[in-house]
Amino acid sequence: MVNHLFGNYLVNAGIITAEQLEQAFELQKKVRVKLGLIAVAEKLMTTEQSEEVNRLQSVMDKRFGDIAVSKGYLTDEQVGRLLGLQGNPYLSFANAITESGYMTLEQFEAAFADYQKSLEFTATDMEAIKSGDSDRIIPLFLPEIDNMQLEHVLMAFRTFIRLIDSDAYIGKGSIAASAKTNGVALQSLDGDKKATLCFAGEGDALLTIANPFAKEEFETVDLDALDAVAEFINCINGMYATRVAPSLNVDMLPPSYKDGVDSIASDAMLMLPIYVKGKEVLLLSKFDGEITL
Amino acid sequence: MAKILIVDDSRTSRKILRGILEQNGHEIIGEAVDGQDGVLKFRELQPEVTTLDITMPIMDGLEALQVIKKDSPDANIVMVTAAGQQNKMIDAIKYGASEFVTKPFETEEILRIINKFNK
Ligand SMILES: [Mg+2]
Repeated sequence: MVNHLFGNYLVNAGIITAEQLEQAFELQKKVRVKLGLIAVAEKLMTTEQSEEVNRLQSVMDKRFGDIAVSKGYLTDEQVGRLLGLQGNPYLSFANAITESGYMTLEQFEAAFADYQKSLEFTATDMEAIKSGDSDRIIPLFLPEIDNMQLEHVLMAFRTFIRLIDSDAYIGKGSIAASAKTNGVALQSLDGDKKATLCFAGEGDALLTIANPFAKEEFETVDLDALDAVAEFINCINGMYATRVAPSLNVDMLPPSYKDGVDSIASDAMLMLPIYVKGKEVLLLSKFDGEITL
Repeated sequence: MAKILIVDDSRTSRKILRGILEQNGHEIIGEAVDGQDGVLKFRELQPEVTTLDITMPIMDGLEALQVIKKDSPDANIVMVTAAGQQNKMIDAIKYGASEFVTKPFETEEILRIINKFNK
């Protein structure tokens, strides 16, 4: 998620183009993060030292870590720790951007600091963003909400990543009274806790959920497509009901959906935009109240 | 190969389940869209195995299970639940459900369970 969030900032700030960002995403999927980049990002080596080791690496048949250790730049322990960071999403994005030649690591890091200022986030918040862990990132972009509702939203997004699109990312959440949409699917929980989870989206946005979930190619947001969205919500709620089961008894009501609906209202519902395949879908969550069509 | 009745209010889930079962040599002899429809189709079709979704309108899977089991104590019923819903599963065992599968469907889990009735 950090690649999309920070990547969009870079595009909006005019630092890279949208096409370059797309190409960086492609590269990010293909290449491993260079150890030299991690060492510099972690401030264990200078850029010059890293370049020197890279040059040596091209003439010696040795790994970056071994050369850096023999030159006294890193200890074996440090190499081990750096290797452990190769899966880090922030570093993997930094690697893709610098490997593409769009920015140097210094420029990338400076821009990340500007990104922090633009969000007015703390250093701890930025560490959460760098981690790529949606459970840590999403609360930063949400208004203050009850813990159980937060848990529900986090579970919904994790399920979205797992079943719909691993590249999905969020926008800024808000409390809304209404939302525009084309079609809607929702399901309520009843029992010890009343809650409703709903997905909405304009145009054919909801197909970004329906198609991968049903493994179909719906072309319009019709009742069949909305049934798929509803069944996806059913899966999220099932997991949520299981999660809260020891302390709370919640029942899942049959999901409902309606085509042709163009707006949804509630006195105050949580609205979180999720971006997927270039479209915006809205996750709407209401605790202790109702969402009406 | 088993003759199977699928009872689920979601067209998507019926289609996915049918796909998995048919591709692996089972025969879907009917589909029902809620518990009440499921009970009627069960009586009419006498399937070897019935998959019964729990969360459905009109009559839910647990009610349908009780009705079917009362008529046909030997019916092989596989309950379908979204994730855990543990409390419902405990009730379902009490009412005589044979097995469970969870949504979202996983091919291997479904085949492993359906094949148990296939001797
Ligand atoms: Mg259902």
